[in-house]
Amino acid sequence: MTPIQFLLILFSVLIVLLYFQRLRSRLLDRLVFFLLAVIAVVMVGRPDWANAAAHFLGVGRGADLVTYLGISGLAFLWLGLYTRQREMDVCLTELARRMAILQAEPPKKKRGRGK
Amino acid sequence: MPKQAVLNSDIFIVVPAYNESVVIRDILRPLVASGYSVVAVDDGSRDNTWGQLKGLGIHRMRHPFNLGQGAALQTGVSYALQQSAQFILHFDADGQHDPEDIPGLLAPLLAGRADVVLGSRFLRKEDWQVVPPTRRLLLKMAIFVNWMLAGLWLSDAHNGARALSRRAAQLIILKENGFAHATEILQQIRSLGLRYQECPTRIRYTEYSRLKGQRAWSAFDIFVDLVIRRILR
Repeated sequence: MTPIQFLLILFSVLIVLLYFQRLRSRLLDRLVFFLLAVIAVVMVGRPDWANAAAHFLGVGRGADLVTYLGISGLAFLWLGLYTRQREMDVCLTELARRMAILQAEPPKKKRGRGK
Repeated sequence: MPKQAVLNSDIFIVVPAYNESVVIRDILRPLVASGYSVVAVDDGSRDNTWGQLKGLGIHRMRHPFNLGQGAALQTGVSYALQQSAQFILHFDADGQHDPEDIPGLLAPLLAGRADVVLGSRFLRKEDWQVVPPTRRLLLKMAIFVNWMLAGLWLSDAHNGARALSRRAAQLIILKENGFAHATEILQQIRSLGLRYQECPTRIRYTEYSRLKGQRAWSAFDIFVDLVIRRILR
């Protein structure tokens, strides 16, 4: 095993442990995450398998395949986060609006001023 | 349309204000003096706008943090409707609008000819002559963008002076917090089938309003907001 392989695998395992410990998410999320981590470890540990998979899909090298999949995955992630961000903005706006309306200060009753 | 006398106090002017402490009192005083009900929405200003809104005989309200002009307008309108406003006007806080244009904006509503009246600086020669040339070009482009996205061809774009009937104000719900609300309003006018009309208004280009107003760059931001919204609806 080369040093980089060791580092990448260590990194993957650490991330999985962190994820499982810190984020109490749904079982499905955990399964998907775990599966992705296993794939990552396998691709790092057996680059020839990654190469074979790449060839099968019509990509030259395993590393390229990882890059392409990685970018697609990131785009997905970004879109998901962006959507959630916008949903949160809507909630936040609604909250601020209700506060503003509840705390609105109407004019003091007229004291001979006005029309 | 039932003909009945409309009190000026049934006419609510919503003024969204963000960091306008320097001018806000001077902008609001003539509106209050005319007997209109004025709702000023401090959109989480970092200066003393909130303090300046005190003692003016207006309804003052405040967002706990800055949300954008569209959000502030919607807050003010929702509140005005609760206060049983019959007609609602949008009015910018930087002094670019002329209070003398208000009766003109209201007239088509009072006559029952329109649900929404939109101010335009391009209907009278004396109005558009004062628009700086670069601004004129930018606005013409915005008119085109509005037509593409909202399907309404108007003579002006991003003019903050508008008048709405109670019904129109109830139906139009702004979700676009930023400046893109100006196009969103048009989209809703069209999809709701509201009757609209343009009305000549004067824009005062003061040194202050030019510094405070929307910059050319923001046009791009607005465009991106609108396009993303279209895609992610």
